[in-house]
Amino acid sequence: MPHRLETRVLLEHAEDPKLRTIDGYRGFGGYSSLEKAYREMEADEVLKALEDSGLRGRGGAGFSMGKKASFLPRGEMAKYLCCNADESEPGAFKDRELMQRNPHQLIEGIAIAALAADAGHAFIFIRGEYDAQADILDAAVAEAYEAGYLGTDILGTHRDLELVVHRGAGAYICGEETALLDALEGKRGNPRLKPPFPAVQGLYGGPTLINNVETLSNVPGIVGKGADWFKGFGTEQSPGTKVVSVSGCVQRPGNYEVELGIPTRELIYDLAGGPEQGHEVKAFYPGGSSSPVLTAEEGLDLPYSFEAMAEAGSMLGSGSVIVADDRVSIPHMALRTARFYHHESCGKCTPCREGTNWTVKMLERVVRGEATPMDLDIVASVQENIIGHCLCVLGDSMAMPVGAMVRKFRDEFEQVMAAAGEAQEIDPHVVVQAPPETLGATPA
Amino acid sequence: MSDAKQVTLIIDGREVTATEGEMLHDAAKQGDVEIPVFCYEPKLGEPVGACRMCLVEIEGIPKLQTSCSTPVRDGMVVHTRTDQVKHAQSAVVEFLLVNHPLDCPVCDKGGECPLQDISMGWGPGKSRMIDQKRHFEKPIELSPLVAIDRERCILCYRCVRFSQEVAEDDQLQLLERGDRTFVGTFDDRPYIAPFHGNITDLCPVGALTNYTYRFRARPWDIEQAGSVCTLCPSQCNVSFTVRDERVKRVIARDNADVDDGWLCDKGRYGFEMFNAEERVTAPRGRGAAATFEEAIATTAERLKAAGPGRVAAIVGDASNEEGYLVQRIVREALGSADVDSRVSRGPSRSSLVRLAQPEVGARVRDIDDADVILVLGIDPLHASPILDLRIRKAMRRNGARLALATERPTTLDGGADAVARYAPGEAAHFLAELKAALTDAGSSSEHSAPEARSEGAPAALAETLRDAERVVVIWGERIARDQGAVEVLLELSAALDVPGTEGSGLLEVPELANARGLREAGCLPDCGPGLTEPKRMLSTSEVQNSPFDGRGTEEIREALIAGELDGLILFGVDPVRDFSDSPAWQQAIQAAEFVVTFSTFENETTAMSDVVLPLETHAEKDGTVTHPDGRIQRVRPSAARPGDIRPNWGVLAELALSLGLDTGVSSQPTALAALADAAPIYSGLTNEEIAGRGIRWQDRPAASMRPVVEDEAAGTPSSLGDRPGEEGRSENGDGADSAKRSEGAPTSSFKLGTYRDLWTGAITELNPPLRFLAPKQRVEMSVGDAERLGLTIGDEVQVGQNGTSVTAHVDVKERVADGTVFLIEGIKGGNANALLNGGPVEVTVEKLSLPAGGAAE
Repeated sequence: MPHRLETRVLLEHAEDPKLRTIDGYRGFGGYSSLEKAYREMEADEVLKALEDSGLRGRGGAGFSMGKKASFLPRGEMAKYLCCNADESEPGAFKDRELMQRNPHQLIEGIAIAALAADAGHAFIFIRGEYDAQADILDAAVAEAYEAGYLGTDILGTHRDLELVVHRGAGAYICGEETALLDALEGKRGNPRLKPPFPAVQGLYGGPTLINNVETLSNVPGIVGKGADWFKGFGTEQSPGTKVVSVSGCVQRPGNYEVELGIPTRELIYDLAGGPEQGHEVKAFYPGGSSSPVLTAEEGLDLPYSFEAMAEAGSMLGSGSVIVADDRVSIPHMALRTARFYHHESCGKCTPCREGTNWTVKMLERVVRGEATPMDLDIVASVQENIIGHCLCVLGDSMAMPVGAMVRKFRDEFEQVMAAAGEAQEIDPHVVVQAPPETLGATPA
Repeated sequence: MSDAKQVTLIIDGREVTATEGEMLHDAAKQGDVEIPVFCYEPKLGEPVGACRMCLVEIEGIPKLQTSCSTPVRDGMVVHTRTDQVKHAQSAVVEFLLVNHPLDCPVCDKGGECPLQDISMGWGPGKSRMIDQKRHFEKPIELSPLVAIDRERCILCYRCVRFSQEVAEDDQLQLLERGDRTFVGTFDDRPYIAPFHGNITDLCPVGALTNYTYRFRARPWDIEQAGSVCTLCPSQCNVSFTVRDERVKRVIARDNADVDDGWLCDKGRYGFEMFNAEERVTAPRGRGAAATFEEAIATTAERLKAAGPGRVAAIVGDASNEEGYLVQRIVREALGSADVDSRVSRGPSRSSLVRLAQPEVGARVRDIDDADVILVLGIDPLHASPILDLRIRKAMRRNGARLALATERPTTLDGGADAVARYAPGEAAHFLAELKAALTDAGSSSEHSAPEARSEGAPAALAETLRDAERVVVIWGERIARDQGAVEVLLELSAALDVPGTEGSGLLEVPELANARGLREAGCLPDCGPGLTEPKRMLSTSEVQNSPFDGRGTEEIREALIAGELDGLILFGVDPVRDFSDSPAWQQAIQAAEFVVTFSTFENETTAMSDVVLPLETHAEKDGTVTHPDGRIQRVRPSAARPGDIRPNWGVLAELALSLGLDTGVSSQPTALAALADAAPIYSGLTNEEIAGRGIRWQDRPAASMRPVVEDEAAGTPSSLGDRPGEEGRSENGDGADSAKRSEGAPTSSFKLGTYRDLWTGAITELNPPLRFLAPKQRVEMSVGDAERLGLTIGDEVQVGQNGTSVTAHVDVKERVADGTVFLIEGIKGGNANALLNGGPVEVTVEKLSLPAGGAAE
């Protein structure tokens, strides 16, 4: 049973393995929104419903999904819809669960969004490591074609939609929307210069709507039950529910679907169980490893919403909370974070390519005790030099959390440098504890 | 084109006017504001915004923007020197130097390096980086001509974009990721492509350097000298890097009207031959050195002895002034009309005049905006390489469609909308079919039978052409070897309304680099300077009785063999090697009483000459040349002439004087003035007017003095013949014979086509760095023919005809038409010119390495 603090909308019936099949899904009322949209609604009505719902993108940027869809030009041209399922942000594993447990909800959402965007081709770009999930999607897509929800002349409405599940080759950068497009086109996955934005010139040069798995999974509910129903959840600026991946130093890591605006403390302590007995939360990433860390004092009592996190100088991002307790060495956590982004930087633009590499080298010296306080100033200044100067957000994704850590925990960095020997004994891996269960939405 | 809208914006407090849509970086330049860039290079197409060097502040936009990718808008207010911008730019320079080795003292780029300049101008001036830099093995061979130093690379990926989006060879790639990224090729294979040298011009650091220039000079040792490359008709603008009066490097000198700022590797690396041992560096007689005075005196004496009307001249590698002087010597001092500048035969004067009309001709720039580009009879890559890039650009960036009609498959086939193959020597016939398909407009497709020889290809081509507005036809002079082809081409262009459409036109790719200039200087048997009617110069009775028009190249050869001519002047040509039917040319030169050859290098022809005089190369010459689109350009002396070489115009003026003709030429400017006086279309032309970028004569007022198109009825019959295509097949009688003769043996008869490969000749033989590119004779045939004969790639075969044969290796090509084989002309050992007998011929292919039983004969 779901925890009392959870609000299951997207993950309703998630425990039922039948949900994965088209019959199971339909048994719970699935595809009725698609039928309603295709049979009874004009594209503009669907678009309006999405705009009215205030649904914000669940992939990281939190931009209004309806507004994004409305940017696509009208007219006769090949348009595309891409579902971004390249979930690669450290700490994020919500899309995996949504695809694995409720693939048809996503397919239905895609079909409806494609109607709103007037797209004839849709793609699910799924990260290569999500092999099992891609298999599940393949099977579900085949069922949907079979049932006439995809393909030509959907439900006899003379509307067509081709949906292809494309497996990525394993690069974090391909989750960046324009790099995703390049990768989908068979090129090296490098971000493109914006503008032009994908809505104007995206896949194969055509207008393209790109949305996250969770965003699109919200679409059937909004269209089926109405924008007002959706706005009944969450806060004014962050309507709806959110599947939050909680990981790190908590006793029950996993995915929890909650109303946006829930107190962060409840999320970390009540739902995820908080740190082990005798330990306290020191800091946490509120929205994946690219969000600036908040200290416990700063963040635990904030409502978990887009606006509250932004106000606190961080972001809700993909909705992935990584918790560090009092045993975690922040300098090691910073190094770990920097290493990830260094490894994943595509190398196209200078500040990210060189900044991530330089930051790693400096932080390595810090934890080895071969640095001076001046080096910390340089680390901080390099982060500033990266922020806002890159082609895409990957550089900022390292610079913001690392910069925040140096700023907020400078004492700890200095202690680590001073006592290099002791610092070595701290297990840096503690910050990236894998969830004990691959799918932890429903703690046993 | 309609006038683009102008907008006004403020950059650093200055009001700047720019064209709407222009990038901010370029607009700033016009306001004298320099914004530093590394990755931005408009020649490469769309900006990529990768280096982040050009970040600027735009009022109303919170984040800094890359000026290379931001189009200007009216009223925009831009700041490039605020603290925020300075901080960002300095940060980017610092980042770029994090992994750069800073080995400037030993780097070839040092002193001419954008990274140095920008570090100096915009960088922080000190380094905070004390960690280990990344390391790569260095330098390593990216190609036999280009070294790559990956540590110096700042990953602007200009070179990769060049390879992928300009040359479209797709060989260069970025490998790995992040700061481990490096430029390389698949499987570390060498980057071999005909334009790859351009990446060394593009590289903003010392990561890509030419092996031919590495450690040869520092920027403060050298001078740059602008000139024009005359190794092919593209006539690309180049800049010679000269140290101690020798050329050390050739780099592009951007001229969008000619070359778009690119060079082919032939023009770039073909400079070591300027000082090759094979160079003719002093005059000589037969086996004996001579002074200029002796050589000129002997030549004058012997030519005079031949008597009026008994000397002919063939001009090839020459400037307009040189060509003008040669034809004057022939016509005025020697009383002959036999002067030509074509390797075979060509259209009559009336057709040339029609081709020269400004509304018929296309400019190189017209290719960019063409709706359809029709390539006829040549592979631009081999005949005029830079056009290959230009055509690709038009297709890639402006969506031009391409129609191709050639004998041999071309490198452009892949992207073409319609491709037609016609049999060698059948250009005129094909063009007539194409014209018919166009004018029939599909109504009579049942009874006109185009499928006969071209399998409906003319119809497909016509389909591509039919609704096109702007059509640029790039045609090879070679098709003019087929009687009547040019005349049909003119009719075809009229059917396409080329003369009446702005932006449409014909662009010839001649066989010689300065063919147009030489024709317009009067080096044609039926044209005087400026394509005027040739004048009778001597009034002796013999000359009065001689034909009004002179002999063309092939007629000269026949007249020499027949003893109707005694003297021969060869200026910058090597007929034995380069002209078709080399045995006949050998015979003709031997038959001549006296041969004087002006030559750059020793060759088979100079070996047979009585007097040999040295020629200047385009690095040494002072003169003008005319681009196939009519642009007159200046070749300027850049390097010292080796040995005892003198300016060619001076030698010719001296020779004329010894023959009693005072040309009044005492310098290059006076030679040009004399030409300008004689050729009405060049009237008043001076070096100053030509200047650094050249000028099309069609754009000058004097163009109104061009010869007028004669009445068509009067102009055509002599040259057109009755029906094109049928005439050329007259010599095929023995083809059937040979096919019968060889029945049973693995022999077969084919139609032979010959072509000039980009890498044949002195370019690969006399430039050691390019030797690896020298082609070996290969016979290209279709898959079906190879299967039928049991041949596979690499088999050695004899390709023979009338007792002469050439040994070649089999190359099986999918896009070669059945029944046709191709051989390379002008190649050392197995020159296909030995086989040509003035037109299409039948050849036999005989496998050399036969299995045991087969070799009995």
